[in-house]
Amino acid sequence: MKKKSRFDQDHKWGYLMIAPTIIGLLVLNVYPFIDTIVLSFSSAKVFGGREFVGLANYIKMFSSGEFWRATWNTVLFCILTVPVGVLLALVIAILLNARIKGKVAFRAIFFLPMVVAPAAVAMVWKWMFNAEYGIINTVFHLNVDWITNPNVVIITVAIVAIWSALGYDAVLLLSGIQNISRSYYEAASLDGCTKFQQFRYITLPMVSPTLFVVLIMRLMSSLKVYDLLYMMVGEGNPALSKAQSLIYLFYRESFISGNRGYASAIVIWTVLLIGIVTAVQFAGQKKWVNYEV
Amino acid sequence: MNKFLKRGIAAALLGSMALGLTACGSSGKDESTGKGHLVFQIWDQGQKAGMEKVAEAYTEKNSDVTIEVQAVGWDEYWTKLEASATSNSMPDIFWMHSNQIYKYADNGILADCSELVDEADYSEISVENAKGSDGKLYGVPKDKDIIGLLYSKEFFDEAKVEYPNENWTWDDLEKASEQIYKETGKYGYMAYSHDQIGYWNFVYQNGGQILNEDGTKAEYTEKATTDAIKYYTGLQEKEWCPTQDVFANTAAPELFFSGKGAMYYAGNWDLVNLCTTYPDMNGKWDVAVLPKCPDPENGDGRASISNSVSYATAAKGKNKELAMDFLKFLGSEEGQRIQGESGAAIPAYNGLEETWVKTFADNGYELSVENLIDMFDYSVKYVNNPSRPSWEPKVEQTMLDIYAGNVTVDEGIEKMQKLVTEAIEEN
Repeated sequence: MKKKSRFDQDHKWGYLMIAPTIIGLLVLNVYPFIDTIVLSFSSAKVFGGREFVGLANYIKMFSSGEFWRATWNTVLFCILTVPVGVLLALVIAILLNARIKGKVAFRAIFFLPMVVAPAAVAMVWKWMFNAEYGIINTVFHLNVDWITNPNVVIITVAIVAIWSALGYDAVLLLSGIQNISRSYYEAASLDGCTKFQQFRYITLPMVSPTLFVVLIMRLMSSLKVYDLLYMMVGEGNPALSKAQSLIYLFYRESFISGNRGYASAIVIWTVLLIGIVTAVQFAGQKKWVNYEV
Repeated sequence: MNKFLKRGIAAALLGSMALGLTACGSSGKDESTGKGHLVFQIWDQGQKAGMEKVAEAYTEKNSDVTIEVQAVGWDEYWTKLEASATSNSMPDIFWMHSNQIYKYADNGILADCSELVDEADYSEISVENAKGSDGKLYGVPKDKDIIGLLYSKEFFDEAKVEYPNENWTWDDLEKASEQIYKETGKYGYMAYSHDQIGYWNFVYQNGGQILNEDGTKAEYTEKATTDAIKYYTGLQEKEWCPTQDVFANTAAPELFFSGKGAMYYAGNWDLVNLCTTYPDMNGKWDVAVLPKCPDPENGDGRASISNSVSYATAAKGKNKELAMDFLKFLGSEEGQRIQGESGAAIPAYNGLEETWVKTFADNGYELSVENLIDMFDYSVKYVNNPSRPSWEPKVEQTMLDIYAGNVTVDEGIEKMQKLVTEAIEEN
């Protein structure tokens, strides 16, 4: 009996101690999430009023060309940014790990884009991509409508997205690479392994857990792309309706047109999409991620 | 660890949490200042100084009141205002735009201001823009605005073209643009996709309408309206007019002030800001009345869209009594005069237009802003009805589709007619 009450006492204190975090999570994350699900089955009126409409929002969504276009744009954006971005980050991490002069300076330079506010990044790139007066068209003697051609604009935004995330991903991967014990490489070179073989059979498997984390994070943030599109493409651009992402569509429906219910359905679909992609990732990781040291 | 110490720490943690929560909840009356503290929210950083001057004049007379002016960005302003209206924690005083006034007034969010001011003191358009669907005043008229033609004196001189004057027609606008493009290689009139600053002016000059008088019917397919929209969207086919792609890269004001184009339409609310942002350009540009339609379907071919902002307070505000008193001051001749003299906006109060005009000369800005005031004689009220929030984004998108060639002008006009009609029926 005595022991049990002691056990309860500990539990009580335990719960009390985690209460601040849990309450915050419940109030700020869990409750709004559930409310969004409820909202997606409602027609939202202004000032908080709502009316249950069943599956109407989802039916409207799945029969809307604009919605499928936005879904495809989002997936395309992922295809463009994730493989290239993560691969480049890995290459840069390996280069930054090499014994070269000014290593620290290079690391700082590559990390710099992370320190700059995303809005500022988008503004500067938008000027560089300006079709008439931008530096990119001028220097390379091109005549590309970087931000108004509906077929090009996603590539433009993808370039900026890769550039902005590169440093952060590279630093994460670099820390993974630095955790690999030197002795593996020494043993390998004694056995006569080439540099490439060392990379293939030591670095890659050993850094794979970090690589997996980077991959998951990059996928999630690419599926949620919004700020760059808002800043670089924005309202009034003729290409917007052909280039908008799911979250951008959500923003327009929710905050410009005031269709909160329909917008909630879009965001629930986005959550499902991210969930599916992440589940596939986790299923696939057994094949290539190595957790044994 | 000592049991008491543990409890002590936990209590302290809980205590600080509770403090944090109450700190978020407190607002409204400030105990240290006695009678009251008012929060005054606006969306235009450029007018913040002007609003502070008006507030200062009020607090000088009412020393037990403090007023804090908060400026937030346009998009954020409406998100915040709606959230605060839903949770009944609105700012004590805030600006109300005609885009949104029906939504707020018709849902009982705004306090009835009919008793505060005399409608006859203000210009008709400002009063109309402050009314809800029931015809009552739900705000105190603040200002009125107008659209004007901005032109670069430099390019006109270089191309030896006479400056725009009040007799100019659309034909003169085209001729001058062509001449300037030929002589200087710069864009002429830069016609960008916009309703209030763009095609609406052409529609009403041509004797057309967007909505009928009481806002219950769309008029896009009326001949005068259709012709004017065709004319306006057709302008971008001219070599002297930038395409919408160009504007998406570089906005018209940027093109104008970086010396790439000679003319564009702008609202008078931009002028003070433009003067302070581009001091080096002072004297190199000017404003004129809008060119009129040469052969209107009906009317005299003149029009310029005029909109206005109102001051409002919440119907269920915590400091409502005090807020109403301040609102009364904001609407008074004195409050409106200070607003005008600060250069913030053209006062809604009759006969105070000159206060705004004078600030330009006083600050050494060489602009013929008196031209703009002349246009109030034939200005047209900003197109609005209760369902506007739901049709406006779709209509704007359709205009862009017309420009991009995704639909023909005729298809686009049919579609806009349908969109507005549906929105009115749903409302």
